[in-house]
Amino acid sequence: MLSVTTTRRAKRGMVREWRLHALSVFSLAVAFVCLGAALLVVTNLSAAQDRWAHAGRASVYLKEGASQDDVDALRAALTRVPGVTGARYVSSGDARAEFGREFAGHDALAGLGADAFPASLELDVAPDMPDADLTDAVAKMKLLPAVDDVETYQSWTERLARLVRGGVAASALLAVVVLAAVLAVVGSTMRLVLQRRRMEVEVLKLVGATDAFVRKPFVVEGGVQGALGAVGAIALLAVLFLMVRGRLDSELAALVGVEPSFLPWQVACGMVVLGGVLGAAASLASLRRLVAV
Amino acid sequence: MPRSELAERFRPMLRGAGARFSREAAQRPILVFEDVYKSYEQGAPVLRGMTLVIERGEFVFVTGPSGSGKSTLLRLLYRAETVDDGRILFLGRDVARLRADAVPFLRRNLGIVFQDFKLVPSWTASENVAVALEVLGLPPRLIRARVGEALERVGLSGRGDALAAVLSGGEQQRVAVARAIVGEPALILADEPTGNLDPQLAIDVLGLFEEIHEGGTTVVFATHDRTLLEVRPRRVVVLDDGKAIDVPNGVASDEYDNRLPL
Ligand SMILES: Nc1ncnc2c1ncn2[C@@H]1O[C@H](COP(=O)(O)OP(=O)(O)OP(=O)(O)O)[C@@H](O)[C@H]1O
Ligand SMILES: [Mg+2]
Repeated sequence: MLSVTTTRRAKRGMVREWRLHALSVFSLAVAFVCLGAALLVVTNLSAAQDRWAHAGRASVYLKEGASQDDVDALRAALTRVPGVTGARYVSSGDARAEFGREFAGHDALAGLGADAFPASLELDVAPDMPDADLTDAVAKMKLLPAVDDVETYQSWTERLARLVRGGVAASALLAVVVLAAVLAVVGSTMRLVLQRRRMEVEVLKLVGATDAFVRKPFVVEGGVQGALGAVGAIALLAVLFLMVRGRLDSELAALVGVEPSFLPWQVACGMVVLGGVLGAAASLASLRRLVAV
Repeated sequence: MPRSELAERFRPMLRGAGARFSREAAQRPILVFEDVYKSYEQGAPVLRGMTLVIERGEFVFVTGPSGSGKSTLLRLLYRAETVDDGRILFLGRDVARLRADAVPFLRRNLGIVFQDFKLVPSWTASENVAVALEVLGLPPRLIRARVGEALERVGLSGRGDALAAVLSGGEQQRVAVARAIVGEPALILADEPTGNLDPQLAIDVLGLFEEIHEGGTTVVFATHDRTLLEVRPRRVVVLDDGKAIDVPNGVASDEYDNRLPL
């Protein structure tokens, strides 16, 4: 365990060499910002993926010649499919009007003909409906004579999933970079600190300190550097996050379907713990050979 | 902490394999060099079959020309170096065969003072003294009290909060002496402790070691300063040609052979 003496000596060392320690913490924070930013992107992408995976709707586009009877029969059949909770008919004209409202003033689009807007049945799908069931139901729907095509928005989910996988891979790579950075930065800082405190080490060994006793405060200092670097990075990311979110209008958020969220506290704490452990380990590794007396 | 209690604490560390601490062991010489050989480079031995016995409570000067091995003798004793051959018995325990992880415990029974003081300049005088007790894990309150006493004994009471870097050479050496005695070791080693001090300060510092000796501590004082040897008739050990030549009553006595290289 850490003795009063160890913490006091570590504190004394950090206060007297605060510039060196601050520089080290800053360098580590830069490395951790990269990792944190990647994790932040992954967090939000996977939230969007989750949202789209359960889009809760599907569009059944109808063939041009479908009669009102066909449509009614189809709607009745669809509402009986387990998981489908509602069906709303949108005629070609309705779709055209809806589009016109959303893009009022865009003259180039106003010229689009009515045939660009097929009539459809907009289904409400229970969010807990399994993907397999939905695919199954879609395959059956496509066989019906009045149905032209079915859009379940699953392709969006897949595209987002690919992005998330890319983000996770990037984060893993950045974690390795951070590992290397912590080892390099803490290692060289501690070697420098040790160099400056050579007399301290020599004196300690002369008065009968064990190697463990000599090392402990240096290890604590390395751990504190790593942890502070991570804390600094998280604080910086939080500031950047708030700035970006402030500029993000609600429409964009609505379009994506999710509100941007910050790193979950478990991830943030994990980064701090990782920083502390890595810093302590790097320090210990760089102190392997102590000044021989 | 009285000395007996401290000895109690370290006795197990100094006990040989299976050999129990005994009253008889306590009567033995505190320090024995037995046929010690040491060379740093092949063909240039520094110590060649050196033998020397020092009893408890003695004050012994070790002298000899530069390069004769005075520092080497002390470094072997506190295990900064290891012997090539022979034995060094400290409190009956062979220092030369101590395992590396037992060396710190050996050093806790020694107080060592150097020519260049070896203080941490960014620490205060008190902190420099306290370190010798901190490694023992003593409670801070006790450490503070003992450090105060030690500084008082070397004539530095009231200077405890001064940074070592701002102290004069003489004061720095007094702090170093306080650090050496604060743990009440059985043996004090001094390697040219007056080498960086002007003659008057040198005599003062010698006086300090004599006071410590009067308190019952064994002192081994390496110096090549002839004037210090002549202050009082004391036992002198002259290192010559890798061997120790004993002059029991000092350089001023009749037995002293002036042909010895000094
Ligand atoms: N680490 C070392 N490596 C090689 N040779 C050494 C080493 N230390 C000492 N020596 C040599 O051993 C010899 C004895 O050195 P030592 O320091 O013991 O002498 P000394 O009597 O203390 O001298 P001085 O009075 O100058 O301090 C010298 O010739 C020195 O050059
Ligand atoms: Mg010497």
